[in-house]
Amino acid sequence: MDATRRHLLGSALTLSALQLFPGLTHAQARKLVFATFTGSWEEAHRDVLVPAFKKASGQDMLLDAMLSVDQIAKVTAARNNPPIDVMLHDPGPALTAIAQDLVEPFPVAGSKNYKDLIPEAQDPMGPSMFFQVVGLTYNPDKIKTPPTSWGDLFKPEYKGRVGMTNLNSTLGTGFLVELARMHGGSEANVEPGFKAIETLKPNLAAVAANPGALAALYQQGQIDISPGNFNAIQILKARGVPVEFVAPKEGAIAFKTSIHIVKNSPNKALAAQLIDIAISPEVQTRLMQAPYLVVPTNGKVKMEGEIAKVLAKDTADLKKKFVFQDWKKINEQRAAWIDRFNKEIKV
Amino acid sequence: MKTAPSVSGYSLAFATPLAGWFALFFLAPLAVLVAISFYADPLLSHVGFDQYKKIATDGFSLPVLADTLWLGVQVTLLCLVLGYALSWSYVRSPAALQKVLMLVIVMPLLTSVVVRTFAWVVILGRQGIVNTVFQGLGWIDTPMKLLYTRGGLIVALANVQLPLMALPLITALQKLDPNLEDASSALGASAFRTFFKITLPLTLPGIVAGCLLTFAATITAFISQSLIGGGQMLFMPMYIYQQASALQNWPFAAAISLVFLVAVLACVALFNQLGRMSRGHAAG
Repeated sequence: MDATRRHLLGSALTLSALQLFPGLTHAQARKLVFATFTGSWEEAHRDVLVPAFKKASGQDMLLDAMLSVDQIAKVTAARNNPPIDVMLHDPGPALTAIAQDLVEPFPVAGSKNYKDLIPEAQDPMGPSMFFQVVGLTYNPDKIKTPPTSWGDLFKPEYKGRVGMTNLNSTLGTGFLVELARMHGGSEANVEPGFKAIETLKPNLAAVAANPGALAALYQQGQIDISPGNFNAIQILKARGVPVEFVAPKEGAIAFKTSIHIVKNSPNKALAAQLIDIAISPEVQTRLMQAPYLVVPTNGKVKMEGEIAKVLAKDTADLKKKFVFQDWKKINEQRAAWIDRFNKEIKV
Repeated sequence: MKTAPSVSGYSLAFATPLAGWFALFFLAPLAVLVAISFYADPLLSHVGFDQYKKIATDGFSLPVLADTLWLGVQVTLLCLVLGYALSWSYVRSPAALQKVLMLVIVMPLLTSVVVRTFAWVVILGRQGIVNTVFQGLGWIDTPMKLLYTRGGLIVALANVQLPLMALPLITALQKLDPNLEDASSALGASAFRTFFKITLPLTLPGIVAGCLLTFAATITAFISQSLIGGGQMLFMPMYIYQQASALQNWPFAAAISLVFLVAVLACVALFNQLGRMSRGHAAG
């Protein structure tokens, strides 16, 4: 009697465990999972990319939005049976994922659209699906003459009104490198960048812990000018916050956002198909239009609307106005920079 | 013949489901954390004590740890003063008012921590409530910097953690026999003396419990620390996040997490010891 009861309990526990972790049984036969970014990226991909994939492949797919670092953590924790088939990464984490052998090369030969990507976006280990662009953001109610250069952040009239983020984010690190470049440094030598931040200190009203917190500071009037992400600013603008984005004359910093096939994915062929669709001119054209305003990487996409107005009219203009940074070099020293920033910026 | 089970006795068997849960979801991950902290490099290829050596010698990690604990002490002290006064008035209020007060006290617990924290961003901002009122009254000309300062952070954290201090204190004060205080003053003790000789020692268990909860919640309050403290202040939770997430340096993140854990446990043990010592003092 006792034994049967225990037996029953055992089966019940197994069943509920299966319920809790469906991956245990369905690892081989699950839908394609694309780990996109949270927020507006997820919305855009749900509206445009998922239906396009369904139409082309006849298959359903899942979006599982999370930060790059979480994608890496999840795949690292289950290398042989990853819960994600396709990853999306900022340049720093992309290099980490490749270095940790978590991604598989994209089959370039079988791709219809890869050759049309602008050269900066081509990389067999993970082509770029879109660019994130960092420029100057300001509050037009408080700052009547629009800024034109990163150097404007240092103007004495903006004392106590400038914001930035720490180096945890791609935005913060990219900004430091750009300051270094302006003052004669480079990705390998950010010493001038740190010096510049030192002189920026009297103007700093806030060093936010992340880009989201930085954007929120415009609503409080805590800051009136800062480096900012084009897409994050469009969201604030749409909600009626008085903010404007301008590309500085030194060039707007462009981050490649790359899309990768996860190593050991059970859905490799579908993953490659999804990537090919994501870099197709049709999907990228739709994503470029309002309300998504995602900067395209495919040279065949004709720029329109806000992007054409604020960022670049066409591919040639884009190449002229965008600054791409060498994240391989940046990653080599980023840990040391973060340590140094922690110490020097502390109040 | 079987003896009937004792009514007041207990069987450890009832604790096994919980123990199993803890073993699976707390002890096992903790063991993994300990294991990871003994790797020498972020790619987990060599084993060694390098991470702990780095913590001890980099001249940065230990000050961050000390500063985090100090923040905990500052907030706990502020909470204790405010919380004791609040609990005192709660216990002495009429029943109808008590209901309202209780709602006010637990309200912060019923709101999401992100919402509460953003409320403080609105209060402390350059165009926030404090600056607007002070400017309206003509006390200041230009807005004060309140957000992203340590003072602002301490006040906001004290508000967020106040229920954790007030609730144990209320329980302790309610258990206090009012006759004891009456007797003390009837025998000629001043209100001051009564408070320090009778009320305070007898509510000490509540104080220790409240302080422990407040302290633990304050030093680990990642969201409030980063949103109100900003990027120019670094406390252990953000430091761990930065190393684990932005830098993917899991061994170092694991090592500082463990050092943080041990330091917090030491503080808790110290608190408990203080509580026990003074209770003995009050009884003797």
